[in-house]
Amino acid sequence: MENGMKGNLTINGYGSSNGGHFNQVKLNGRGIVNGNLECVLFECNGSGAVHGDLKVDNGKISGSGKVKGAVEGNNFTIEGHGSVSEGVSLLNKMNISGSSKIGGNLRADEIQIKGKATIATDCEAENFRSDGQFAIGGLLSADHIDVRLYGESTAAEIGGQTIKIKGKKRGFFQLFKPFFQTKLTVSVIEGDELQLESTKAEVVRGKNVNIGPDCEIDLVEYKESFLCDDDAKVREFKKI
Amino acid sequence: MSNELISKKDLLDLTGISYGQLYRWKRKNLIPEEWFIRKSTFTGQETFFPKEKVLERIDKIQSMKETLSLDELAELLSPLSAAGVELSKNELLKRNIVTNKSLELYVTENGMTESFPFDQLLKVFILDKLLSSGDISLDEGRMLLQVLKEASGTLGQSKHELLLIRKLGVTSCLLVNGAENIIVDQGSKVTVRLSVMSCIEELKTNL
Repeated sequence: MENGMKGNLTINGYGSSNGGHFNQVKLNGRGIVNGNLECVLFECNGSGAVHGDLKVDNGKISGSGKVKGAVEGNNFTIEGHGSVSEGVSLLNKMNISGSSKIGGNLRADEIQIKGKATIATDCEAENFRSDGQFAIGGLLSADHIDVRLYGESTAAEIGGQTIKIKGKKRGFFQLFKPFFQTKLTVSVIEGDELQLESTKAEVVRGKNVNIGPDCEIDLVEYKESFLCDDDAKVREFKKI
Repeated sequence: MSNELISKKDLLDLTGISYGQLYRWKRKNLIPEEWFIRKSTFTGQETFFPKEKVLERIDKIQSMKETLSLDELAELLSPLSAAGVELSKNELLKRNIVTNKSLELYVTENGMTESFPFDQLLKVFILDKLLSSGDISLDEGRMLLQVLKEASGTLGQSKHELLLIRKLGVTSCLLVNGAENIIVDQGSKVTVRLSVMSCIEELKTNL
């Protein structure tokens, strides 16, 4: 995006503006942008909203920002309570460290979740890493999926090359039944290298499958190797 | 075209690709979403593919991925991405994309243009393909162009198929969108059935 002639838009406190092309857009307070917005830098601190599509190089929502439309761009960060009503499609990185809701697909090169993410349909990336919770309504697909579970996460399907799901550390507190379950629930997992813990799935298919503690799996189909922890429940497994 | 399906497991076995590759190609849209057909079987959910199409596509990807990056491949295989291409009349002839005969017919029907953007190029290409194969006559070619002209703008955006039906020497030309089976009466014969999407792919590999 060239930014030769474009100005900046800053709304402090209450205020609203129409959309358009800008260099920097900052919404501090309750700023509202009506219409599609295209800018190089977007920052929303407070409870700002964009009523339209947002196209941005680097965007960040740190308050409870809303985009009522789709987001397209390079990098995007949600630190507070952000929501995007349609899909998000990024060339580079998506960072979610608060709680966020995405009403469509999420596509990025790299996705990192540290808080809680709700994605209505598919989630696609080259690298997907979660140290939090997620609820994905469709397929989670990435080359490398690295998940550390905290609480409950769900996805309809997971597919990729290497998939690592780690449950929480086992220690003294395991003596008490935890109030919140640590579990990933998914119907189908397919990948080449699979290492699963605390996962509940109907079907797991892969080349090298390693089922760790706390798993409940109805059927495992593997090509080369299959390992199963004593603490896991696998109803049926077969080599194909 | 056969409607035979192949399960994902069999597909991976047959082609020797991995889950990782399959999902990567799906993400890059090298394998279109609508080819992933979900069905429940007694072992749970499984995904199936139209066998012929997916095998051909994977073959294509594997043969070209040595020389092209995945993104370039996606560009090549996606139907709408070549919209920016524009070629002049001379270039078209010089590079043997279409024959002079079809080009002349197109020009007499649609008026003279110096350069051809992709959507027009596609029309000439389809015309040329059918004329050169001897499937249609010049008159039928004119009819075909008329049909394609009606559909301009939306051509190739979905599962368009071109049909030519002949009865007692009279031809009708139809452009249908997503029809699986077509049944005609006994006296009629479907002489041409052509998927617009496959024409687009073919044209692009020629460009």
